[in-house]
Amino acid sequence: MFNYRVYWTFAKKSFLRSAVYRFDVWSRLGSNIIFLLMWGSIWTALYAGKEEAGGVSFEAMLTYIVVSQFLTGVNGAGTPLWEIQEKVRTGDIALELMRPFDVPLRYLFADFGSVAFYIVTALLPLYTVLFIFMDVALPTDWLTWVYFIIASVIGFLIRYCIEMSFGLLTFFLVETGGIEDIFYFAMSLLSGSVIPLWFFPDWLATIAIYLPFQGIYYIPNSIFIGEIAGLEILTSIGIQLFWVVVTYLVLRLIWSRASKKVIVQGG
Amino acid sequence: MPIIEVEHLMKDFKIAKRETGFAGALKSLVKREFITKEAVKDISFTINEGEMVGYIGPNGAGKSTTIKMLTGILVPSGGHVRVNGIVPYEDRQENAKNIGVVFGQRTQLWWDLPTIESFELLKEIYQVSNERYKENMATFIDILGLDEFLNTPVRQLSLGQRMRADIAASLLHDPPILFLDEPTIGLDVVAKERMRTFIKEINKERNITVILTTHDMEDIEQLCERMVLIDHGQKVYDGEISVVKNRFGKIRTLVVDLEESKRTLQLMNGEVFKEEANRYWIRFNREEVSASEIINQITKTHNIKDLTVEEPEIESIISRIYQEGFEEISEPVRN
Ligand SMILES: Nc1ncnc2c1ncn2[C@@H]1O[C@H](COP(=O)(O)OP(=O)(O)OP(=O)(O)O)[C@@H](O)[C@H]1O
Ligand SMILES: [Mg+2]
Repeated sequence: MFNYRVYWTFAKKSFLRSAVYRFDVWSRLGSNIIFLLMWGSIWTALYAGKEEAGGVSFEAMLTYIVVSQFLTGVNGAGTPLWEIQEKVRTGDIALELMRPFDVPLRYLFADFGSVAFYIVTALLPLYTVLFIFMDVALPTDWLTWVYFIIASVIGFLIRYCIEMSFGLLTFFLVETGGIEDIFYFAMSLLSGSVIPLWFFPDWLATIAIYLPFQGIYYIPNSIFIGEIAGLEILTSIGIQLFWVVVTYLVLRLIWSRASKKVIVQGG
Repeated sequence: MPIIEVEHLMKDFKIAKRETGFAGALKSLVKREFITKEAVKDISFTINEGEMVGYIGPNGAGKSTTIKMLTGILVPSGGHVRVNGIVPYEDRQENAKNIGVVFGQRTQLWWDLPTIESFELLKEIYQVSNERYKENMATFIDILGLDEFLNTPVRQLSLGQRMRADIAASLLHDPPILFLDEPTIGLDVVAKERMRTFIKEINKERNITVILTTHDMEDIEQLCERMVLIDHGQKVYDGEISVVKNRFGKIRTLVVDLEESKRTLQLMNGEVFKEEANRYWIRFNREEVSASEIINQITKTHNIKDLTVEEPEIESIISRIYQEGFEEISEPVRN
């Protein structure tokens, strides 16, 4: 039984709530810009005046980083890992079992709300200005834009399923430090968010290719700068779709185990 | 007609035994040992539509565990539960529409939303019509004075405000059944009174069936005609409060302060059940002996400095039932 209105209300409420916590939006935007500047200068230094490296032009690399930071902003506006863990520990999530809605789905829609607010009020204005004034290479044909948006949305869903799954593991673990380390490591490195996969040593690239994380940043970024093009776009999106299904099933499995634990062992 | 049926209900919790030290940690990785805690052992009762029942017991008796099984967020280890025709844990979401729940210890509202938005969210979740929502809000604002904090985020509410918001929230969707787990905990006298008035009113006017747990006997005396008393996961008493009061109401306690004396106090038809320095607590049955007779007896051997006669409070009756069981103390004074 899918009650569309309930989930829509969650999205709407969290959109409005973001408007109340404006400081949050500004501080997040501030750190987003700082990281952009940092990675921008690191890559400028690494290219050291060279026109191209690893078969990729400096301009394309810079664009990769800017797009990546944009998507980092989008993904970072959802419920963060620590907050999910907190809600597990305090029993907030367990109590939501008593409500007539699906819990993972309701968090997803709440994230849609806060992400939409953040995109509209902060990310789009900032990155529009950046794209206008910086020397970056925008895709020229509209189809690339469409593929990029599709890939970004799927990437967002993959990240959501993974982050929620990691968060729900708190139900089963006394200490979650290790879990967090793995998560943040995978999110920053294996996803290709700051270093594209083509610069990885072969063995690491092979690992990254077989994991879902590349679907979050590497694939949409590379589509945007044209590094993934033609038929490869479709296979990449196919891989993303495969991972979104897998990570979703994993999330459902962990959630059903977690709710079972709550109702049998009392949380 | 019974709206809530509970039959031989049981709940065991398996608690993993924590080993200490490094060796212990290794051992528990290989083989974990569990201790079983029987939170609810064997409880049966039925509750009729419109009844308001006090569910009483000392800390750890199994009250909250029972309530959780009635809401469906805990699966029983044995026995049967039926709430408004539904087995809660089998159809938790359907059951949710029939019940309102307040856990006094914690809020179920969304912490970071202004109170009014929590209400609006619940309106959508339970698909309450606009008109009904407006009517209910008007009533709750009126009786509970919600308007003073509707725009405050839940996390900033005082305990009393939060409790008022929580109970209003639990009733927005007009559930026929209400579970209140310590709804007056931590409230001041005025706030308690207000809460009781409200509970009484919704029970009367809306014919809502209420189960109420509390450690405050005032709550019970003012609100409930019937109480279910449990201890160590088992039912100790189930019946009218007036019966308990009548049954034990014959017992009086006489407290006397005596002057120093070497002789011990011996009484014919009273029982000294406590003594401290020169103060003695004497229990007697008012139908067998009067207070003045007992006093006379004492003055024969001792000098009384001061004395008071205590009326039995439901509270002290209940604490005796916890200690001694209901049947054992049905004969109040043994000579
Ligand atoms: N999730 C759990 N895991 C293990 N033991 C539990 C769990 N929940 C409750 N217990 C145990 O079950 C027993 C009954 O607990 P319960 O919370 O039902 O008591 P209660 O009657 O509500 O007490 P109080 O008046 O203190 O609220 C207690 O001994 C408690 O320690
Ligand atoms: Mg309790």
